Amino acid sequence: MRHKGWLALVGIAVALVTLPAIRHATDFPMFYLIFLSGILFWTAQSTSWNILSGYSGYFSFGQGAFFGVGVYTMAVLFGRQGMSWWVAALAAGIASMLLGLAIGTIAFRLRSLRGEIFALLTLAVPFILASVARLSKAIDGGQGIVIPVPEAPSFLSQFQEFVFFVGGVVALLALTVAYVMQHTRYGWALFTIRDDEDVAEGLGVPTFFHKMIAIGVTGLIAGISGAVAALQLGFVSVEGTFNLDVPLFVIVMSVLGGRGHWAGPMVGAIYVYTLQNRLASGGFEGWSLIVLGVILVLVMLLAPQGLMAGFRRRPWLSAGVFVVVFLGLWLLGVTTDPVTSLAAALGVTAVIAFIPGGRRRPELGEPETGPPQEHHAPVGDEPVAESVGSGRPLLVAQDVVKTFGGVRALRGVSMTVHEGELVGLVGPNGSGKTTLVNLISGVFPPTAGTISLDGADIVGSRPHRIAHLGIARTYQIPRPFTSLTVRDNVAMAIMFGRDPLGLDASRRAAVEYLDLVGLGGRADALPGEINLHQRQLLEMARAIATRPSLLLLDEALAGLNPVEIDNAVDVVRRIRGSGVSIVLVEHLLRVVNQLATRIVVLDQGMELAEGEPAVVMRDPAVVKAYLGRQADAAGE
Amino acid sequence: MIELQAAVSGALNGSLFALMALGLSLAWGFLKVINLAHFALILLSGYLTFELATATGLGPIATIVVTAPLMFVVGAVIQLGYERFDVSELNSLLISYGLLIITVQVVTNIWTADFLRLPPEINPFSAEAVGVGSLRFPVPTLLAAGFAVVLVVAASLVLGRTYAGKALQAFGQDREIASAFGIDHRLLGVLLAGAAGASAAIAGMLFPIGGTLTPDLPFEWIGQVFAIVILGGIGNVTGTLYAGLLVGAISGLVAVVWTPSTSPFVVFSLVVIALVFRPKGLFPQKGG
Repeated sequence: MRHKGWLALVGIAVALVTLPAIRHATDFPMFYLIFLSGILFWTAQSTSWNILSGYSGYFSFGQGAFFGVGVYTMAVLFGRQGMSWWVAALAAGIASMLLGLAIGTIAFRLRSLRGEIFALLTLAVPFILASVARLSKAIDGGQGIVIPVPEAPSFLSQFQEFVFFVGGVVALLALTVAYVMQHTRYGWALFTIRDDEDVAEGLGVPTFFHKMIAIGVTGLIAGISGAVAALQLGFVSVEGTFNLDVPLFVIVMSVLGGRGHWAGPMVGAIYVYTLQNRLASGGFEGWSLIVLGVILVLVMLLAPQGLMAGFRRRPWLSAGVFVVVFLGLWLLGVTTDPVTSLAAALGVTAVIAFIPGGRRRPELGEPETGPPQEHHAPVGDEPVAESVGSGRPLLVAQDVVKTFGGVRALRGVSMTVHEGELVGLVGPNGSGKTTLVNLISGVFPPTAGTISLDGADIVGSRPHRIAHLGIARTYQIPRPFTSLTVRDNVAMAIMFGRDPLGLDASRRAAVEYLDLVGLGGRADALPGEINLHQRQLLEMARAIATRPSLLLLDEALAGLNPVEIDNAVDVVRRIRGSGVSIVLVEHLLRVVNQLATRIVVLDQGMELAEGEPAVVMRDPAVVKAYLGRQADAAGE
Repeated sequence: MIELQAAVSGALNGSLFALMALGLSLAWGFLKVINLAHFALILLSGYLTFELATATGLGPIATIVVTAPLMFVVGAVIQLGYERFDVSELNSLLISYGLLIITVQVVTNIWTADFLRLPPEINPFSAEAVGVGSLRFPVPTLLAAGFAVVLVVAASLVLGRTYAGKALQAFGQDREIASAFGIDHRLLGVLLAGAAGASAAIAGMLFPIGGTLTPDLPFEWIGQVFAIVILGGIGNVTGTLYAGLLVGAISGLVAVVWTPSTSPFVVFSLVVIALVFRPKGLFPQKGG
């Protein structure tokens, strides 16, 4: 199935090379080549937008800034300074990439409201750049810049052919990058960021790094494409460059076409560009922005997956209807202009795409089914001795303090977990258990105190570093990546875990972890289709798939019925049997007593007691503080 | 002396931006909607004010009687739409961007992209100014500042003193818990969005009083208004006013100390610095 994508890309490449020659042979009007050049330009721009904003979910209103930097780099370096056009085009890409990296450095580091503030920042950037360009005599100065016709290679005899070819190369570059990213870790990192960035980071995805790559690629492609557009235009002005067209068009194209698929923005570009063309030729220019706005609102509300999802549900029907309507109208002479036939065919096909039903396809890629080849999970048939904390110290937390504003959540807690132990961490609500888990997994740093794993200090490390050192965690309320299947949720953890594998190998290896927790049968379900118990098991499978030495289970059994609890207890035993040390945060004392080799009791941010379950549970201070009226529960 | 004049005039201008930011900040903080359509309502109100004032010959301020209730309804209906489709915070950005684009184009189609200015016989404030010592303030700016202060004080009283206000605060902090305690979030949300719409009507009225109208004004406002929303603290009503005064004063000062063209950069750089160091705003609220 993979080859379809490559076939499409190769097909586009062949068309690029042959169309100018075909035009020479058949002498079809130059207009069609110009029309196709327009589609290629918008394909490059919208695909560039989609790599950042579609894949990672960071909406950008600043495509005009990347485009504009490309346009003006070309205008200044080639138009004014007389550099060669392709050097200027590359420089344009790099300049635009640097702008992207600068924006990312500011916005991607924020702790809260990253997505929102990024979007608003990108809304402002084009206006700032526009005033820079307008004021600076070295750039534009408000007069505009004339760009001479570049010297084209000899095999492209006419300027329009040259523009078509170069624009096509840029579009092909954009599509290839988007395709490759969708099928490798670079794209998948972005998908997990879109679904739940903090969870992704905790599973070992270096989120900042991947967002910077995405915005860098977005800037690079948009810059080169803008530079080529400047060549085509021949004259650039601030008003013509930093207007609303580019950001609005790329957003509408990507949303309409489908943001989760590499080809979505291209599909959207074909639709929107054709529609614009027909509106303009029918004398409805004043309506085109209104139509685009309406499309944006309706698709966002009613079919946020876009056209591509519909086409993938009914690939043959869509293609068949398109071809029949297009050729029928054209060859039968119903329409005089093939672009009108195209518009009609696209419209009919869109209706088919948006009718619900058909075969459900996973949003991203096709799941690979095949026999597991690598043995990734250390699933132990080999019994691990239930030794009680005889190993060396694995996690050492000392005098850990955490305050939130004026609230002291932890006031000097020390805890050691030895290799092979299963430590029960208990305490009343608000005693600081989850805060301690968050500190150990690096969600936020402690106010004071030290935490080390295997002797290495982990305070201040980003969560993905800590994950790579060997700490994994689950969340009290399961937080699966909702757009990925159960299998892919686990595969992500393997891809970015301590023994990273490629996408296909990760998908195969994921089955072992799903079997370990008993979810093997639901591998192809989406997280929304499984129950709470199964989502909690998925949390565990995903955590151990990172191959941790220490697993933090944060109330992994909350809200389960007794049968499910017994099942979960078995799963935790099996995980421990595979050689993972565990910290179990739990309210159910029955479970803790059954599983824990040692218990730590927290109360009001301090350690109240620590020791073997049977001993701790009889400690009068514990009974008083934690058990209160239900003291008899300890005797279960 | 020119610096003082510039700073105070700038601050007064900034209060108009604070007025625009008010509705956005409330919707973002309490309804979790980043409503770019708010700018569309302001623009539309500006043009309606122009149209009604020239058609009836009444003063521009009298037009609030029509525009404020109208924008209340429009704002409320948009919020109903967000509720109906359960629109997330980030998606609301894209959807309301679509609404804004539609409005801008519709306004362009009706009133053209040319500058519009109220004739002086209809707009008695345009040429007047008030002197305080050696400082002079145009009446339109004072009007804007007056409305801004009144609305901010009113909003802060409603939020702090009434049941509806407290319910909204609870809802802004934790939707599910607030709903569990019987707060009818839909009704409150729709009322709040309506009130934000009415405030947009008032802000919109002030533009034809103080200057000219063009359809692409919203895109000139967006950067500075959101800077004020974020610096003031999202959902923080009085913070919004302070931030508006501050940003306005700084940009006024920069414009005379350096050149007018540098002031957007300086303001923008300050916002970026503030974002990095104080992402929750300059004026943190208690417990927030």
